[in-house]
Amino acid sequence: MTRAQRTQTPRTRSDFSWRDTLMSYAFLAPALILLTLFTFYPLAYGSYLGFTEYGGARFGQGLPPKWIGIENFRTLFADPLFLTSLGNSVKYLVVVPVLQLASLAVAVLVNKNLPGMPFFRAAYYVPVVTSISLAAVMWEWVYNKDGTLNWVLGALHLLPGGAVGWLNGESTAFWAVMLVTFWRGFGYYMVLYLAGLQGIPEELEEAAVLDGASAWQRFWQITVPMMKPTILLCSLLSTIAALRVLEEVLVLTNGGPLNSTYTALMYVYSKAFQGFNFDYGLASAAGLVVAVVALALSVANFRLFRDSDGDDK
Amino acid sequence: MKYALRLLTLGLAFSATSGHLSTAAAQQPVEIQFWTWYLSPKFDPYIKTTIAAFEKANPNIKVKWFDKQATMVQDFIASVNMGGAPDVVNLNIDETAKAAQNGFLRAVDGLTAPATLKTTFYPQTLRNFTIGGKVYGYPWYGSLNEGVLLYNPDLLKKAGVRAPRNMTEMLNMVKAVKDKTGAYAWVPALKDPGGASFLGYFFSDGLPIYNASGQAAFNSPAHIALLQRYVDLFKGGYLPEDALRKEAFQLATELYAQNKVAMIVGGPQALNRIKDSNPSLYAKTVVTTAPLGKAGVQTGTSMGMVIPTASKHPAEAAKLAAFFTNNANQIAFAKIVPIVPTTAAAQNDPFFKKVSTDPIAKATSLVGASGRFINPGFKVPGNSDDLYKNFSDNIEAAMLGKKTAAQALNDTVSYWNTNMKK
Repeated sequence: MTRAQRTQTPRTRSDFSWRDTLMSYAFLAPALILLTLFTFYPLAYGSYLGFTEYGGARFGQGLPPKWIGIENFRTLFADPLFLTSLGNSVKYLVVVPVLQLASLAVAVLVNKNLPGMPFFRAAYYVPVVTSISLAAVMWEWVYNKDGTLNWVLGALHLLPGGAVGWLNGESTAFWAVMLVTFWRGFGYYMVLYLAGLQGIPEELEEAAVLDGASAWQRFWQITVPMMKPTILLCSLLSTIAALRVLEEVLVLTNGGPLNSTYTALMYVYSKAFQGFNFDYGLASAAGLVVAVVALALSVANFRLFRDSDGDDK
Repeated sequence: MKYALRLLTLGLAFSATSGHLSTAAAQQPVEIQFWTWYLSPKFDPYIKTTIAAFEKANPNIKVKWFDKQATMVQDFIASVNMGGAPDVVNLNIDETAKAAQNGFLRAVDGLTAPATLKTTFYPQTLRNFTIGGKVYGYPWYGSLNEGVLLYNPDLLKKAGVRAPRNMTEMLNMVKAVKDKTGAYAWVPALKDPGGASFLGYFFSDGLPIYNASGQAAFNSPAHIALLQRYVDLFKGGYLPEDALRKEAFQLATELYAQNKVAMIVGGPQALNRIKDSNPSLYAKTVVTTAPLGKAGVQTGTSMGMVIPTASKHPAEAAKLAAFFTNNANQIAFAKIVPIVPTTAAAQNDPFFKKVSTDPIAKATSLVGASGRFINPGFKVPGNSDDLYKNFSDNIEAAMLGKKTAAQALNDTVSYWNTNMKK
């Protein structure tokens, strides 16, 4: 067989498979290595720590984690602070639908080819890249007793009881902090929705216009179904983010007043990193509980979006 | 013979070489890691100059300095875990106690002769760093919670009061100042730092925190009455709402600079901020002695230098810590920023005897030599993070009317006595 003949001989499927497989794994390897190092291993080790006694004096003396079974979970569910914090985190999920609806609506608006739209797109995104310490100072000005919010409400005669310390009241602080979360997340989801909207083929819209569909009909019949994968992604991200709220709480209220803004992640943070007790075992167990809640909510999200049209997206 | 000569030559050469090597090893500089807390960049020149002086005096020790800020404790824990522990770490009294209780620190009285420690520092400042009978830190710069009284003379005049000479007078004038001027009289530390500084007010009034057997005992009628006094003022709107949420010193300096607070009880360091934010108010600010509680004592805190158990060079680390905290170096630091030195010799230093009309200079001379009064007023309890949180939550509940003062203190004492680790 000549060289030319040899090169022209078609290769069998088995000739290719090992090489293809190897090549695929080679391409995947960098991502897999990073994921193993920074996601899978911490996840597995953190889950293991949740069933151990590790931290405090044990850690200080260089002793390894000690297996204690479900003891940490017993401690957690007997701790009123943990239950309050978990309750607050779940309550915090109220922000998710509002955030999603608002960012989708604004994405639809800024998707129009009107003058000045790039400015609005950028302006809505600014809070996402603003540091939390800077944002906290600004929101303090808004929420202070003599701050902007009271001034505006006072000017509109909407403060019959006098100025309110929005971050100091048990009934107001939670919602005040949530508004900051909304403000910080809004631009991020808007950009994701904008990307999704720009992926919808124009022909579909044009065909619907020719068929005489109204703007509202086009939105419900074309935009929303086409945006379902993006809506699912944003809902998942936003649900997980709501359960992980920490920074704004720390800087604005430190969990107060009367623990009304104390979230589950704040509990994890305080047990693991505040002071010198660093009870990694208990913190990991609390983190695991939060992860399980997040997982359950993610499954619910998937089910909701799958069942709504019987299609597994 | 030839063989023996060759062997002798070889032996001589070897011994000469090995001697050279051992000398080289002895001269090999030891590098130690030194961590400070919130001192850079403002005090870079002072720290660098002091390190340079130390290295000159100890040519075999090289110092690698890092300034840590908000993540100090986490970084410390992580570095111990990763096997790269620092050798000298700047911690305050509270954190030192927690770290020592958890086995992170070496007792420094095993590294520096106890007699030397006793002659260098005030007895109380050493006691502040004594946990379980052992000293765990070299006391460094300190501050007094009461320290001095700074006041805005215009607001006091408008209120028709004069500067309070004690805390009873201060509490009595709070309503008058607010009603007549619209400004708060002062901002008490209700929750900070560590969530338990209200305990300092008990100590200032001569009320005990623990009983003789070491159990929490701050729920007597006298304790309750004192807390009730503050609760009444808070509910009446005579103390800023934000005092439950923000650090009192920070809030006080912010509001004072805006003419919304008439007085600051605290260290001269508040004046630095006022000088920057409102120079004209700074110029007319009057500095005088602090109003004290019924016990007539000051409370205060200090930084210390500790040596982690995981340090690989404890002897060299101890040398550096002792050098930084010696009298000369603390006085040099006090000349840059109004700290209170913790060395006994500081009380005789002429620097603190200068007379001046400048508020900072006056405040410095009033408190600079008062290191002997630095005393938090209570020993950090075991499991302090949980206990402080509980204390803080109960104080907050009392202020916000969710619990009576008696109920809040009884609940706290009960929680402390159940959860306090010895």
